[in-house]
Amino acid sequence: MQVVRCQLAPPQRALQASAVLRRVSDELKEPLGSSSQQQFDSHPADHQPEQQPQGPRPSYTGQGGQESEDYESEEQLQHRILTAALEFVPEHGWTAEAIAEGAKTLGLSVAAAGMFHSDGSELILHFVSQCNTKLSELLEQEQKLVQLGEAEKKPTDQFLRDAVEARLRMLIPYIEKWPQALSILLLPHNIPSSLNLLTSMIDDIWHYAGDQSTDFNWYTRRAVLTGIYNTTELVMMQDSSPDFEETWRFLENRVADATNMGNTADQVQSTGEAVVQGLMGAAVTIKNLTGLNQRR
Amino acid sequence: PAGAVSLRRCSTRVTLEGVNRPVIDRIIRVDHAGEYGANRIYAGQMAVLGRSSVGPIIQQMWNQEKDHLKKFNELMVAYRVRPTVLLPFWNVAGFVLGAGSALLGRKGAMACTVAVEESISDHYNSQIRTLMEEDPEKYKELLQIIKQFRDDEREHHDIGLEHDAEAAPAYSVLKTAIQLGCKAAIFLSERI
Repeated sequence: MQVVRCQLAPPQRALQASAVLRRVSDELKEPLGSSSQQQFDSHPADHQPEQQPQGPRPSYTGQGGQESEDYESEEQLQHRILTAALEFVPEHGWTAEAIAEGAKTLGLSVAAAGMFHSDGSELILHFVSQCNTKLSELLEQEQKLVQLGEAEKKPTDQFLRDAVEARLRMLIPYIEKWPQALSILLLPHNIPSSLNLLTSMIDDIWHYAGDQSTDFNWYTRRAVLTGIYNTTELVMMQDSSPDFEETWRFLENRVADATNMGNTADQVQSTGEAVVQGLMGAAVTIKNLTGLNQRR
Repeated sequence: PAGAVSLRRCSTRVTLEGVNRPVIDRIIRVDHAGEYGANRIYAGQMAVLGRSSVGPIIQQMWNQEKDHLKKFNELMVAYRVRPTVLLPFWNVAGFVLGAGSALLGRKGAMACTVAVEESISDHYNSQIRTLMEEDPEKYKELLQIIKQFRDDEREHHDIGLEHDAEAAPAYSVLKTAIQLGCKAAIFLSERI
């Protein structure tokens, strides 16, 4: 499973910020009569709804000697905030406002947004990473079905089309703000992470497509698919047809082109080999005719 | 049809959980490149000396290298390692080295074999050490394979010596130059 961590804000600043917002949120959590969100019979010691058991991860909330029940790590907290923030992206864009709103829904202070860069980079990278993980899971399940004989193995071009379509469909809820996200992902300080996420996604798709190349083809295939994915993504940004039909047709054509290119390359190679054989044959014939082929 | 359900075990897949990816990636990538290069070297040598008296011996060593390469191809797919970008380059360079050394005569070819096989076995040895330090149990299969291959390469090295490699023209210079080249190739293939 390929999971890539987003760029994290400098740890110290984040540490203090998170400790501060915890205490602030503790204060805010006193049961208010007018608040409809709070449970009226809440135990004072109960803070946020428990997440999955954290295990031996260090807790950064023990600053005052007081430890909270959920030993949540810095990173998991950030994950939760970002996931909650996604809901507000269609409205606020990939910005600190969306993150602040997300933090509010978790009952944290809006100061939580201070943990992240102001350009929304981490939110976008988090989203991309989530989408990639979902895609991997989807492909893994499909593979299991094929192995159990419950589904037909798709031909490669069909497989690639479906995988890219599935992945791009995850953008649909955020499509209005996606161009903004793409431009942020191209900022120099984000390029290593976004490139990493892109390449591992493409590698995943090829892996599940059954690619077993161990020569330069490995690179060619991935480069071609990356090109297909990126261009299709751009077409999708400008597509206004119902359910993005134009985009899927574009995708189909590009994949067909790529397959043709592969076939043509094979044909060229066979022709080349045949020509070489012919020349070798001619050379041997000439050597025979002129008697140069005698062993001395 | 119920009877026709074929539970194809994912035989090409190895559990990738808990594997030290960076280390294993490097090891498999560079070993794959090495076997690929060795293949090309022997191909070059055969192109020149194929019909001479050492032809059969070189052919035999070449066949073993082909098996090695096949094995690493499988490992590469199983561990999802990317091959080195420099493969096309090693393709040509290996052939040129093999043919070039063979043009110096049989002893030249044997000297090249000795130099390359010595580099490779030292390299396999250090990989074995690395894996043993990491976790001998987890990497048992890989360790076994590398040990086997190291022994094969040692054998090739000894065959080379038996066939008068040391009597080759400018033996020590040739050997040093080739081994330097091998070190550079290993360094690059691990990273790129």
